[in-house]
This record gives sequence, C-alpha cells and structure tokens, in this order.
Amino acid sequence: MVIINNRDKLEWQESMTVRDLLTKMGYTYSLITVTVNGELVPKENYEDHAVPDGADVTVFHLAHGG
Amino acid sequence: MANIATTTTTSKIEITINDKKVTVARDTMLIKVIQEAKFSVPTLCRNKNLIPTGSCRLCVCEIEVGGTKKLVTSCNYPIREEIKVETDSERVKAHRKVLAEMYLGRWPDVPLVKAIAKRCGVTDGGRFKSELTDANPKSCILCGQCVRACDEFIMERILDFAGRGIKRHLTMPFGQVDHHCVGCTSCAYVCPTHALEIIDDLNHPDNPKMIRDYGMRINAEMATLDKHQCCMREVGTANIVDVMNAYDLLPVMNYQYGSHEDSKKIGTQLLKKNYFTQKMPDGCWKGCSMACAKTVDQFELRTGPYKGQKVTVDGPEYETAGSSANMGCFDADFLVEFNFYCDTYGIDTISMGTCMAFVMECFENGIITTEHTGGKVLKFGATNEVLECLHEMARGEGFGVDVGQGIRWLKNKWIKELGADPNFLQDIGMEVKGLEYSEYMPKESLAQQAGYAMAVKGPQHDEAWLIFMDMVNNQIPTFEDKAQALYYFPLWRTWFGLMGLCKLIWNDVVPADNKTYPPQVAAKVPGHVEDFFKFYEGMTGIPLDEEKMLKQSGRVHNLQRIISRLMGFGTRQHDMPPYRAVGPVTKKEYESRVERYDKQLKEIIGVDPEGKTTEEKMKLIREYRMQMYNKVVDAAYEKRGWTKNGVPKIERLKELGIDLPELVEIIKADQI
Repeated sequence: MVIINNRDKLEWQESMTVRDLLTKMGYTYSLITVTVNGELVPKENYEDHAVPDGADVTVFHLAHGG
Repeated sequence: MANIATTTTTSKIEITINDKKVTVARDTMLIKVIQEAKFSVPTLCRNKNLIPTGSCRLCVCEIEVGGTKKLVTSCNYPIREEIKVETDSERVKAHRKVLAEMYLGRWPDVPLVKAIAKRCGVTDGGRFKSELTDANPKSCILCGQCVRACDEFIMERILDFAGRGIKRHLTMPFGQVDHHCVGCTSCAYVCPTHALEIIDDLNHPDNPKMIRDYGMRINAEMATLDKHQCCMREVGTANIVDVMNAYDLLPVMNYQYGSHEDSKKIGTQLLKKNYFTQKMPDGCWKGCSMACAKTVDQFELRTGPYKGQKVTVDGPEYETAGSSANMGCFDADFLVEFNFYCDTYGIDTISMGTCMAFVMECFENGIITTEHTGGKVLKFGATNEVLECLHEMARGEGFGVDVGQGIRWLKNKWIKELGADPNFLQDIGMEVKGLEYSEYMPKESLAQQAGYAMAVKGPQHDEAWLIFMDMVNNQIPTFEDKAQALYYFPLWRTWFGLMGLCKLIWNDVVPADNKTYPPQVAAKVPGHVEDFFKFYEGMTGIPLDEEKMLKQSGRVHNLQRIISRLMGFGTRQHDMPPYRAVGPVTKKEYESRVERYDKQLKEIIGVDPEGKTTEEKMKLIREYRMQMYNKVVDAAYEKRGWTKNGVPKIERLKELGIDLPELVEIIKADQI
C-alpha cells in the first residue's frame, strides 16, 4: 500500500514507478511536484523512479485559478 | 515565435565528456551538461533564458558519434545518442583561436571580447584589423541576444538585423524608431556590452533598476517555462478546461457533476486547434510577456443582430467555457458565439451561464414550462434557446428580461408566483449575496466552499481558490489550516487589486526552484511574492514584507466587509452557500458519485452505508457537510478577527488603524 498526500491509499504493485502512480491516480495537471519518502523526484525521472511498498508519497498540485 | 524541443522526453543517455561519464536526459543541450559536469566553454551569444542560436560559434566542441568526429556548437546541440565530447581538443582550440582573433580585430576594446580572446590565447587581433574595426568599448558585437529577447520575452519583433556579411547591423524596421516598442528594456537588459542603454523616463519610479531586475525574472520564466507548464501564451486560461474535467471540477449542468464525456468538444485542445486562429499571443496590454488573451478570427455568427457577419471574438477564456459546460452546451461554435454576444451586450459570461444553468434545471424539473419561457424549450444543452434568451435580454423583451435579473430574483418570483419549493430552489440556485457562482465545482473542497461563499462581493474565486490545496493536496487538513488559508490568500489576492496588478503571473507560471520549497510554502510561490514586493519597493521606495502586505490588504478587506454590512449583507447568514455548492442535492447526483459519498460515510462519518436508502445517506452526508462548513466558517472568522456573526471586531479595526468613528458606528451594534 502506498499513502499519497497523507490521506489517499493506493494498492502497491511490483516495480511501480512514479509515472504509474500518477497515471493510476489520474494526476494529469502540469504543475505537479512529487516526493517519494521525502525525496524530490525530477520530472525526467518519473518513468524510472521506483515507488517502494509502503512509501509516503506527496503529489503537490500548485494552486491555480484566475 | 521560434520554438524548439527541449527536455520533453525522459529516456536517459550516457555520454562522455573529457573522459568523464555522465547520464543525461534526451534532448538536453550539450552546453548545459558540460557546465553541470564542471567543465566550461567560452561563449558570446548565449543567454540561458533565450533560445540558443550558435551564432558566435565559440562554444564549439568536438564530438565523436559512431567513430566519426565533428565540431558542433554545444549551446544548440541536443543530445540524442551516445557521444564522446572533447571541450578543448587541439582542433577545437585552433577553431576558437581564429574566431577570437576575428572578434578582437573588429572590437578590440570591448571588455567582454578582450576577456574571451585572452581565454582563447589571443591578445592581438591585428591580423583581422580592417575599416570595420570599432574602438568603442560599448560596441554592438552582433550577438543577437537583444533580437531574441524582443521576440521571446515580449513576443515583438521591434529589433532585428539588416544587411548581409560585413554590412550586417542591428536596426528597427526601415531604420526608424518603431512606435510598437513598449519600452520594456529587455533588449538592453540582455546586451552583454552595454551597446544598448536604458533611459528611464516613465512614471518616475524610485528604483527603476529594481523593477527591471525583478521584471526580467518573470519575462525569462515566461519565455522558458510557460510552454512546459500552463501554456498560457498558447491557449490562455482555457488551458484548464481539460484539467478541470479530469479532476471532476468542471461544473456540468448547474454544478450537478464535475465532468462530462463531451467536454472535449469545448476543450483546450479543440479551441487551440480550430478556434484560436491568431497565431500570435495577444495581451490585455502591450508589453505583458504572459499575453494570455486569445482571439478567434473570422467567426461567422449564426444568430442575433450581426447574423451572417464575420467577427473577431476576444476569448473564450476558461470561465466562459465552464459556463458552457454548466449549461450542458458542449458545442464550441455556440461557446464562441455566446462569448461574442455576452461581450457585445456587456453581459458577464459567468453570471449569464450560471443563471441559465439554474433556469435549465428548473425547466427540466417542471418548475417552469414553455408557458413561462416564451415557448423556448430550455433543457440542458439548448444552445439556440440560450442565445435567444441572451438576445431578448439585450433587447429588453420576453423571458430574457427575467433571466437578466439573476438567480436570486428568479427564485423569489417563482416561489411567490408559481408556488415552487423554496428549499429546492435555495439548494440549486447557485448564488450568494445575489451574485452567481463562478465556474469551479466546490463540492469536494470545504475550504473552497468557504472561499466562495465568504467572499465579500459574492462567490467568485478572486479571493480564494483553494481546491487543489484542499481536495487534492490535503495541505490544509485541519480547520485551523483552512482558516489560515482563508485568511492569507484572500488578503494576498486582494493586494493585486489594490496595486492594479494582474495576479495571473503570480502562479500560472512558477519559478523552476519552486518545487524545492515544502508544499505549504510552495503554495504561496515565494519567489514571485518577492518579485511583487520588489515591484512595490522599486516604485514607491518603501520596502514591503508579508506582514505589511497583509495589513495593507486587511484594511481594504475589512472596509469592504463593513460596506457590505452597511448594504444589508456582511453577516453570517449572507456567507451561507446553497447546498449544491456543498454536496449532492438530488438522488441522481448522489448516485453518480456513490462510491465517493459512501466512502465518506464509512471512513469519515463512521456510518455503514450498507442497507441504507439513498435518501437516508444523503441526509447524513448533508448534516455532516453543513456541520463542517459551519466549523470552518467559525475558524475563519476567528482568524480574520471577526465576530461569530462575521462582523469585523472593533479591536481588529484598531489593529489595522481604521477604527474611524463612521466605521465603528456601522458595526458597533454587532459586537456580540
């Protein structure tokens, strides 16, 4: 199980990457910052960066709105 | 504007630089990797915020690909395969040396040229001395940074090169001062030799350099980051139509739902592809480097007084597209025509869209019929009928006149004259203080519900847009956190209005380092807050910080609240939202998101939904959500220094230095 934003739960899968997590959560917004267990993950590493089981993930969407 | 691919793909490539192995993302420019690997190459024409052109050729390196060696300019060489790089091979050094000699021969006294030449082992450019040699230490060296800054920062083409070969020179069109120049000073700012000078003569700011320094940071971000972030330059605020739909936040059919399968018919991609025909960014005012206003050209109208004419339409922006979804009108031709006529008649697209959405739901529920609408079948999606209402409103005729009075007026009329259920109309009539809601679905964000309904002038998002912070990021989980956000953001956003500044450049593009801040801080976009504080200081000479800013805004915000009180609003009852803004009003609405609501019942409220009817579940959800709403309002009032009834306390006015007798008089009876 992976905990996202200290609230949402997502079933963990073998070799899960940050990109898999974002896809599963439907997070498509452009201004997103991701940390996995406190470590900031650059956008170019989303495909490669592994999300371990039990990871504490934050997916921060920057506030928007006219 | 020129455009190139940058780091858009994520595959990694291993390259070697001077025997040092490094892994880089595909399409990264070679010079960036060289610098990150702690090597360096000379350059005269490069600026990290401008698209590289390789024109000075000093940054050449020798690369080996598949056994073949060649020279490339590293500033504009994107890495797409495994290569070996030598930054200072004999061939490279010989090449640079000749170039340096040529530069020094022509511009012998420009300090930058002298320094570069020295680095390349050249101290005498005599071999290339000619009638072109210019001894001015501030000579233009034809690097082209100013030309690119004009194009890329401000999207103008005021400056360019003319002439070929030795006659090449910098100029404005036809050698005359071009009145299109807005005096943004970008050209002079990037000029490495000070050949272009800035003469400050506008509004006599206290410190024009400070304004320019911080303004250029924003210009650079627009040129380099916007295309990877919100694409405001390309599609304006319409960039979020698809986003809002994806996050179940696009108001659909009078805020019943947050997404619709047909939303792409009014979506970002379709507007960009088929409607925004001016292939250049447009700005509210010349000189804005975000330039998010977009335009549809040659649009042939099919209704109204201008039927058959081809017109230019300013928009559509997100809120107008949101209005269209709210009316269930997923038709881009309708959207553009609706946009045009609202503008032409001086009608707000948000109020019109939200009001029509209410009318349509009333029609679908049989509260009103064709008898009341002048024969118009006003079901959701009735595009022609919406336009007819709009034309009637403008002509002062028929049912359109009623619609023009707004939701509050219609509710009262239909309760009184038609015996409509007042509770149902109150629940679905999306207005507070008599103003229609703007186009975001607030049901799943408690902070946004309060941000809307507590806004002094009615439920627009000018004061607070907290949906992602609350609903998605879970950044403000406690009532105190939400209250803090409902204190800070309305005051910060009010501050833009006080200064006459646009707030879109605050967080519709963000500095690259914003992600290094913890989320609570990042939400404020601290780098941009600093920019705005420096604009203020540069203009007035008075330093500004968060505390002073909050006080400036607090004075106005509280004054507005007192004026609201004077006008018969400004108390708790006027900060109460229609239930549609908080939760599901109808069975159909509940059942459309049953998983979400049942989960809340089970996990948060602690009631097992199993075996309960939808009506029973709706009642429980409603009680819980309204209780939460009232708690967040209590917390926000306290943080703002207001009474439990939402009236500013006199001590708060004292704190702000606005305890004027005439203001105290208005609120003194409410100090309970």
